[in-house]
Amino acid sequence: MRTKVTWILTPLLVLLMSFSYGQEKTITGNVTDHEGLTLPGVTVLVVGTTTGTQTDFDGNYTIKASVGQVLRYSYIGQKTTERKVGSSSTISLQMEEDAEALEEVVVVAYGSQKKKSIVGSVTSLGVEEIGNQQLTTVTSAIQGTVAGVNVITSGGQPGSNPTIRIRGVGSINASSDPLIILDGVPFNGNINSISGDQIESMNILKDASSTALYGSRAANGVILITTKKGSYNSESKITVTAVSGFSTPAVSLHERIGNDDMMRYSWEAERNKNIYVSGQSAADAGVNASQSLISNLGYNPYNVAQPVDQNGNLVAGAASQWETDWEDAMLRSAAQRNEYTVSISGGGESSRFFLSANYLNQEGAVRESDFERFTTRLNVESSVKDWLTVGLNTSLSTSKQQFPTQSGSNFQSSYQWIYSMSSIYPLYRRNEAGGLVLDNLGNRIYDYGSTPGQSVNGSRPLLGNENAVGSLFNYDDVNKRTNATVNGFAKIKFSDNLSFKTNLSYENYLFDSNSYDAYDVGVAASVGGRVAQDRDITTTFNFTNSLNYDKTFGDHSIQGTAIFEAYKLKVDALGAQGTGFLPGVKVLNGSTLPEGVSGFVNEDRITSYLGRLAYSYKDKYFIEGSYRRDGSSRFSEDTRWGNFFSIGGSWVISDEGFLANSNTINLLKLRSSYGELGNASTGSYFPYLQGFETGNNELENTGVLLGDVTDPNLTWENQAIFNVGLDFSLLNDRLDGTLEYYSKESIDLIYTKPLPISTGNSGITTNVGSIKNSGYELSLAGRIIQTNNVTWSVGVNASVNKNEITELTQDEFITGTKKWKEGKSLYDFFIQDWAGVDSADGYGMWYKDVLDTEGNPTGERETTKDYSEATRYYQGSSLPDVTGGLTTDLKVGGFDFNMLFNFSVGAQIYDSSYAGLMDGFSRPGYTASPDVASRWTQPGDVTDVPLLLNSQNDFNGTSTRFLFDNDYVRLRALTIGYTLPKDIVGKASLDNVRLYLRGDNLFTWQSHKGIDPEQSLAGTTDSRSSLLKTVSLGLNVQF
Amino acid sequence: MKNYIKTGFLSLLCASSFIFVGCSEDYLNDPQPTEIVAESVIFGSRTGVEAFLSGIARRARGQFSSVDAAGVNSIYFARTLKGNDLIHARSWWGFDYDNDNREPTYRRTSFSWEFPYYMINQLNACINGVETSELSEVDKSELIGQARALRGFYYFQLALEFQEGYTSSNRDLPAPPIYTELSTEGKPMGTLGELYDFIVEDLTTAISSLSEDRLGKSYVNVNVANGILARVYLAMSNWDGAEDAANAAYGGNVAAVLDPDSYGNGFDDISNVEWIWGNPQTGDQSNYYYNAPSAFVDPINPAYNNIYINEFFANEFTATDARNTFTYGTATDFTKVTSTKFVFAFSSDIVLMRTAEMILIEAEAKFRQGDEIGARDLMFELQSNRDPMAVKSTNTGSALEEEILLERRKELYGEYGVEWFDAKRLQRGIVRTPNHRIVKTLEPNDKRFYLKIPQVEIDANENIDDSVNSGR
Repeated sequence: MRTKVTWILTPLLVLLMSFSYGQEKTITGNVTDHEGLTLPGVTVLVVGTTTGTQTDFDGNYTIKASVGQVLRYSYIGQKTTERKVGSSSTISLQMEEDAEALEEVVVVAYGSQKKKSIVGSVTSLGVEEIGNQQLTTVTSAIQGTVAGVNVITSGGQPGSNPTIRIRGVGSINASSDPLIILDGVPFNGNINSISGDQIESMNILKDASSTALYGSRAANGVILITTKKGSYNSESKITVTAVSGFSTPAVSLHERIGNDDMMRYSWEAERNKNIYVSGQSAADAGVNASQSLISNLGYNPYNVAQPVDQNGNLVAGAASQWETDWEDAMLRSAAQRNEYTVSISGGGESSRFFLSANYLNQEGAVRESDFERFTTRLNVESSVKDWLTVGLNTSLSTSKQQFPTQSGSNFQSSYQWIYSMSSIYPLYRRNEAGGLVLDNLGNRIYDYGSTPGQSVNGSRPLLGNENAVGSLFNYDDVNKRTNATVNGFAKIKFSDNLSFKTNLSYENYLFDSNSYDAYDVGVAASVGGRVAQDRDITTTFNFTNSLNYDKTFGDHSIQGTAIFEAYKLKVDALGAQGTGFLPGVKVLNGSTLPEGVSGFVNEDRITSYLGRLAYSYKDKYFIEGSYRRDGSSRFSEDTRWGNFFSIGGSWVISDEGFLANSNTINLLKLRSSYGELGNASTGSYFPYLQGFETGNNELENTGVLLGDVTDPNLTWENQAIFNVGLDFSLLNDRLDGTLEYYSKESIDLIYTKPLPISTGNSGITTNVGSIKNSGYELSLAGRIIQTNNVTWSVGVNASVNKNEITELTQDEFITGTKKWKEGKSLYDFFIQDWAGVDSADGYGMWYKDVLDTEGNPTGERETTKDYSEATRYYQGSSLPDVTGGLTTDLKVGGFDFNMLFNFSVGAQIYDSSYAGLMDGFSRPGYTASPDVASRWTQPGDVTDVPLLLNSQNDFNGTSTRFLFDNDYVRLRALTIGYTLPKDIVGKASLDNVRLYLRGDNLFTWQSHKGIDPEQSLAGTTDSRSSLLKTVSLGLNVQF
Repeated sequence: MKNYIKTGFLSLLCASSFIFVGCSEDYLNDPQPTEIVAESVIFGSRTGVEAFLSGIARRARGQFSSVDAAGVNSIYFARTLKGNDLIHARSWWGFDYDNDNREPTYRRTSFSWEFPYYMINQLNACINGVETSELSEVDKSELIGQARALRGFYYFQLALEFQEGYTSSNRDLPAPPIYTELSTEGKPMGTLGELYDFIVEDLTTAISSLSEDRLGKSYVNVNVANGILARVYLAMSNWDGAEDAANAAYGGNVAAVLDPDSYGNGFDDISNVEWIWGNPQTGDQSNYYYNAPSAFVDPINPAYNNIYINEFFANEFTATDARNTFTYGTATDFTKVTSTKFVFAFSSDIVLMRTAEMILIEAEAKFRQGDEIGARDLMFELQSNRDPMAVKSTNTGSALEEEILLERRKELYGEYGVEWFDAKRLQRGIVRTPNHRIVKTLEPNDKRFYLKIPQVEIDANENIDDSVNSGR
């Protein structure tokens, strides 16, 4: 037992101290690798001290040491070498290749494995891939870089997280989100609390053999995030990074019409109603339309009382007094993004550490929206004794997000407002004559479209008593998140073969959402403002004990692991709401009337027993099996235990004699696995219990209502996953690649089966049916140029996924725009088929089946103008045929140039925003697309746009009229960097200085413009704000 | 030494693991839901059942699915706007005003079907739970009585919304199915006759077991149950039954149950002596802007302010009538007249049933049975209460009928769709005056008096297919 003092909590102190010995002298030398090439970056350490250095660009080093001390030289891929300091002041050496160390080690479930021995499907993203993008949420880095993963971004609000689906969608009602494991522990906080600089690797586990040890939570794939740890025997390094830039929406919005068109079209819609619905003569209809136009619209932006004449033209001299550009009022032209990072890492002989602090401030597309985060992490690890290693990872992250409504149908919803509100409605309040109304201080007042008693310019026909621009400034919607994690382990080595590891982690995630509605205007003005606050505390406790056995004898190796795990998640929620506030008071203490309080505690627990056994022969043949038994508190005692397993094997063909010396084929490895996993991510914590829900009080009397009907025998979803893959490396390792096929069948899906609403329940959550996902994945990486000064590599990946419903307990379900039926996909659109416009009367038409006398379709179709009679048909799918990405990385001298594209081909999207804009003025006051110009106006017109009609109609009812192909290619990241020459930075005592220009989402080529192509898996839109395009300048200094 | 430490560690950790293993079933049983209450608590005491009935009362004024699909008030207000007396200008309720909000996929259609059935399922659970409980027979009878009266009420709404008005000759028409217990299977359509028989049975049974006692005016007592029955009998042309039930609902003493001075106070206070039944609201228990009619009809307090009064209708009121709450503006179109009958605030209560309606039902029932004198006398009691200058009617026959029906509209406009209800049950049709924004005429028994069956029901119910809507 050595007696070196190691304090876990003071590694910095230890590492910053230098021990001096007598007779110190300066040693210089040069280090080369096994081929004799100079080796920069070799760590040179005086053994037993913390004195260390690294070789420079030319392989030279200088270090102070005393005679008799030992210098240790270490470098990845080379055998660590030691030299005793003698009388000479020069020690140069050639290092030897270390074949063992060359083998990449990959983090896997509950441990790590040599890459060669992996039998499953694991894709790793390293520092490089993660570092090349401006990530507000780290999981965004998966898009375009990992085959078989579908990532849908969540719009223009920074700090909102993408939807990730690994190998298709395997669940309907249960969550399809992958399990996220942070440093070995399930992560339940918000993923936006982790900054990219902290991450060493992000591994995506896709098949059963790699995920089976996560058992009941593994079915959707697993993302293993490993944070940086520092390295033993390395000099402490400080890295400072600063990146600043600007963002705008990545794609432009649908265009909208201006005042003049709005008035003419609205008149026409009213005139048409008078003629075709009310049966007036054309002349009367025109006169009446002119007269009722302003009262229909409620507002008159013109300087004349009746701006449109009986023929539908603007009267001479009519001029707009205002024409509101809502997009401009609502969205920023340049949102700022600033990110700064300081990290320190290093390690001595028996301990290592990583310390990082990161600050990010990013504004969103919508005015006032932003995300500000401060996050810090300290990871330390120490080999206390030769038989005991302990480590502690801690992090603290706090963020604040101003999150005005940017999707959905709330009145404040910004994009909905832009797509609904005509330019004829003013931003600021106007009087009946159209003049600005000012407050007593002479300031303009936002117009809320609800000034009772004012006959004109007082009352809007749409989105009344609200002004979404005003709401950005008058209301607050702030989310604050604090995430603290403590994750410690101790590992005891009993012998070279047997070790025990215990890991205990605790995570505390505090989510505080605070909303304020103004006291003087808008939705809560009548009650003097409203404050609603929710404070939810989510704690996760995870305790893992594992026993590991690892032994090699002769050509045989075995590895076994046995684990017991206990997991506890607790959500403790508290909310309060009150009204009646003085100006400027935005906390509940100022409330005059408490409106409500709420609170509950939910728990989710899992206990598990698991194990893995792996065997390999001659390092060529590998076989591995995993088993896990989980018990979950989400199900009843009778149904809560589930067994999950996997088995897999691989064969390194290239190590066989006949290929051993091939230069063409350097690696050829075939692997395959099969396993059965579970999914228990039900929406409710007690989905099997029906009870009486509290909180339905009638004045002072406590009130309860019966909750939804439940299935007491509800149990796990199960997935059977088969995977086969071929890894190869060809042409002297210049071309690497992987080809994989998978098939994933989910059975006993947890799904809310629709019930006839006449039963009083709209659905029952039960285990219904099965879905199969299958597909191919290909990734290739080519190193095209590889010289000392120039390297150029290109990577491409593509995947194809087929989603098929294989079993349903009833013939079919219709759910929104989809119909689920055996043999079809979850995402096949099933909607009415638009048959165009009848040129005789301008009405829209749809197809319907011709029925025979017994009511069965004959296979023929005819058109109908009655939407309710139109037949729904299968029409395309919201799932793409092919998705993938392309990267290219070029380095010339100190310059580097990197691009990442992602693409999606073959999906359809139903654009309801555009449908709204093509409504044809059935609802007065709603703006429209300029495309209404080609509307039907008279018999004989051949067009696809029906007549304008201010009367309820179904012309823009859900149909193929608004179903579009949604192919796109996006330049997701582009970086141009320059690393200053070492000799220059060396003079300033710096190790590395890099300057770079970075653009995210700079270009998007898309088949349907006007919306962000990434909307939702289901291919429907929700007035959601667009992803941002960001251009930044960055500086990275290491010393 | 080293080995001792290691062995010690190992034993300790293994031991702690095994302790965990031993406890794991307890560990998993420990979490229990905190937001729901077990059935045994609810049906274990009268207080528990009353909490259930309170929740049901609260849901009647909730925010079920949308601004125009909130609760009972939304069904009522949609009926109101189908008539001639009020004019819709813009925003919410436009399609109801247009009388074409009835297609299978529309929100009105699915809401008017789903909401009553949601409530019926709750009431079935209540009735069946109380029946099998250990409560005393007295408690059982009273509690079940309340629930059955409400169940009758909601089935009555379904009958009105999804089929023609009832006549003795159309009892075989398809009508919404009847459920009396929890079911996960959809039932086929029943008949209109069965449905009305069921409603009457529920209500008459309830009346026999209820007293005037109740927890508050949003709960059902014998008066409310009689009031509902009076409306049902009116819809069934059972004049004799309607007369008795209406009289029992208001108690028979006209003077004691009217308060003309409060008519102009805004219809926002459930404690008004004229209110038999209503939904109370407070600042912290409100359906906010979902409060039809007041959030829409009130022309002053900021809300939707989008409903106007037909000038011709307003002109029917004398200046001295307490019910004359109209303001004539300068506009020359349909936006000329507004009414302050309903005042909007988050705490405005919602009216569901008033004594004046019962008095007029009794008067009409007398007329229908040939007692014109009794009808005129009773109606005059109300008329003179509202307007001190009122002159007693000398009308007879159809003129008297028209006068009664007009009096009903004058008294009850905006409250529960009285004009639509009368037009429907009497097969009269609705004719709009030309000053309307949308001039549409509903012929007697027009299909637009009822809705199609919602598509979501058809899609999920194996016993109802698309053909249910053919001819609707």
